[in-house]
Amino acid sequence: MLRKADYSAVVFVVAALGLFFIGGILTTVIPPIVDKSWAKPFENSDPSKGVTGKLVKLNDLELRGRAIYVREGCWYWHTQQTRTLLSDTKRSGWKGVDSPISTPDEFVYDSPHLFGTKRTGPDLSRVGGKYDEQWHRTHFKNPRDLVPGSIMPPFPWIANNEEEFKAMVAYLQTLGRAKNWRPDNDYEK
Amino acid sequence: MQGEASIRSAGEIPVSSAARANESLHEDTTAKLFLISSISYFFIVGIIAVLIAAKFVWPQLLGTIPFLTYGRLRPLHVNGMLFGWLLAADMGLMYYVIPRLCGVRLWSEKLGVATAALWNVIILGAVVSLLMGWNQGLEYAELPLPLDVMVVVAWIMFGANIFATVATRKYTQMYVTIWYCLGTILWTAFVYLTGNFAVLFTTGVNQANLNWMYVHNAVGLIFTPVGLAIAYYFIPKSSNTPLFSHKLSMIGFWSLAFVYVWTGAHHMLHGPISQWLQTIAIVFSLMLLIPVWAVVYNFFATMKGQWDQLRDNVQLKFLMTGVIFYLLTCFQGPMHSLRTVNAIVSKTDWIPGHAHMAVLGAFSFFAIAGCYFVVPRIFKTNLFSESLANWSFWLLLIGGVGFFVTLWLGGFWQGWQWNNPAIPFIDTVINLKPVWSVRFFSGILMFGGIVTFAYNILATMVGSKGQSEKSLPV
Repeated sequence: MLRKADYSAVVFVVAALGLFFIGGILTTVIPPIVDKSWAKPFENSDPSKGVTGKLVKLNDLELRGRAIYVREGCWYWHTQQTRTLLSDTKRSGWKGVDSPISTPDEFVYDSPHLFGTKRTGPDLSRVGGKYDEQWHRTHFKNPRDLVPGSIMPPFPWIANNEEEFKAMVAYLQTLGRAKNWRPDNDYEK
Repeated sequence: MQGEASIRSAGEIPVSSAARANESLHEDTTAKLFLISSISYFFIVGIIAVLIAAKFVWPQLLGTIPFLTYGRLRPLHVNGMLFGWLLAADMGLMYYVIPRLCGVRLWSEKLGVATAALWNVIILGAVVSLLMGWNQGLEYAELPLPLDVMVVVAWIMFGANIFATVATRKYTQMYVTIWYCLGTILWTAFVYLTGNFAVLFTTGVNQANLNWMYVHNAVGLIFTPVGLAIAYYFIPKSSNTPLFSHKLSMIGFWSLAFVYVWTGAHHMLHGPISQWLQTIAIVFSLMLLIPVWAVVYNFFATMKGQWDQLRDNVQLKFLMTGVIFYLLTCFQGPMHSLRTVNAIVSKTDWIPGHAHMAVLGAFSFFAIAGCYFVVPRIFKTNLFSESLANWSFWLLLIGGVGFFVTLWLGGFWQGWQWNNPAIPFIDTVINLKPVWSVRFFSGILMFGGIVTFAYNILATMVGSKGQSEKSLPV
């Protein structure tokens, strides 16, 4: 039957698009309809059901910080997903507490999404509350002052611009905080 | 049997004989413009590529200039190579190949020239906006919305020209190259709209799913089919050998049309996306072996008994090396999608090694071969230097293999270390520094290959005026 497509451009177009649309629709349009968790913001107040917390929308300052994160291409360098791998939950963890894995309901308001594909620097999905403002200021000026051997570029134009710096830190402190995962509540500001 | 014979000849007629008769028919202005600009971008973006590789070795390099940081140069490198060089070169080659396979003139040279002009406006706009940090924050879809709209317009202009040429064709049967070219035009339209427009109406995991569908199919349904269109034309043409099997071409093409689009979620394996969707992506990723092996077997069987031609034919060197890289990269892809393998290699430096083998090793090698074939013919001259062409091949091959293999070994090791949480993250960074140094020096070799290629083509074009009499057989 497909041999007809050798001779007729119309048959060709119908077949080429038909085959493409089967997979195209089943893997892009259908999944969010079938899987409601993609659109339902995380919320849990019952400790017996696992980690508690609530996903809130970012405020203007945090959104401004997120825009700087996008502008500087931080997302090419850092992923934002604690995968279903034991080592990821250990590496995203803090002070002996393992991090919960990232779930779709934690990212409902994200646009653009910043899951990332390349982990040149560490994953940032639970970085919120790990370091204080002073640490971030020094780190943005020259990462090697705090982390010898780091290959992160310096960002003096963020560290020296109070408005941008405050926004950036405000955004970073929100990362992973929908889930209230540290039992001692020892988050830095 | 008679059917088989007439199908066999489908591989021969348009490619090896009929095209010769009408050579004076073609103007090729559009092809020239696309090839000149794409090769220029190949060179310019190559500088950025080397600079990025250098930043891994010397992180402070140019570190105080906002528009020259890694985060702004990387999208410029990716978009510049994908759309400035490779896609534009592929389009230029299609403007040359399709009219010849149809036995008619390009439907409209004027439309083609306008497309080339618009394409250059888009690329220059991309340079400015990406360096300024005007970035949509979605991989491969970084360009701001106005530029996206212009890409769609340019693509419609390109598609209309090619479809109209095919509609007015003299030969009733369409050769494999035409299928792949038409397929590219159709699929790209939908893949691009999904990745650049549909994503804007979604958020979170839903958006990521559309983004990966686009990212994956930007390679799978844009660069793969148009790259194979080029290989299907130039391998028989350069070796003067008919294509081995029409049936295998059909299996390769129609299975590609069906299986490729399902696999986007394999970029999110182990990540925050539904497990069942991950499993579907894995199953279809494994099925990708079908179109790949059908195509590669067809090319190898075509070359059976003809391999000695590689000794003196630089186009065939590029083409057949590209086929081997295509086979390897498309073996890696399905293997990465296995959950166990993915747990090690995903997000590591293995992945750029893999991606560069696909885009540089396979598809850019096809496009370079096409340029070496086409440019002397449309400028009615001989190639400026065969030995320089051989230099460009060996530099790109040695630099490329050095780059790929170093990053695979380094990336695998990196992933192995990540999976042992007792190793602090920063130690995994420090351990990789020798890998990034080798990558930088491999990058210099590759850039040397680009420079010799670009210079050779430029010198061929510039030198063409004086010697228009002795033209190559078409």
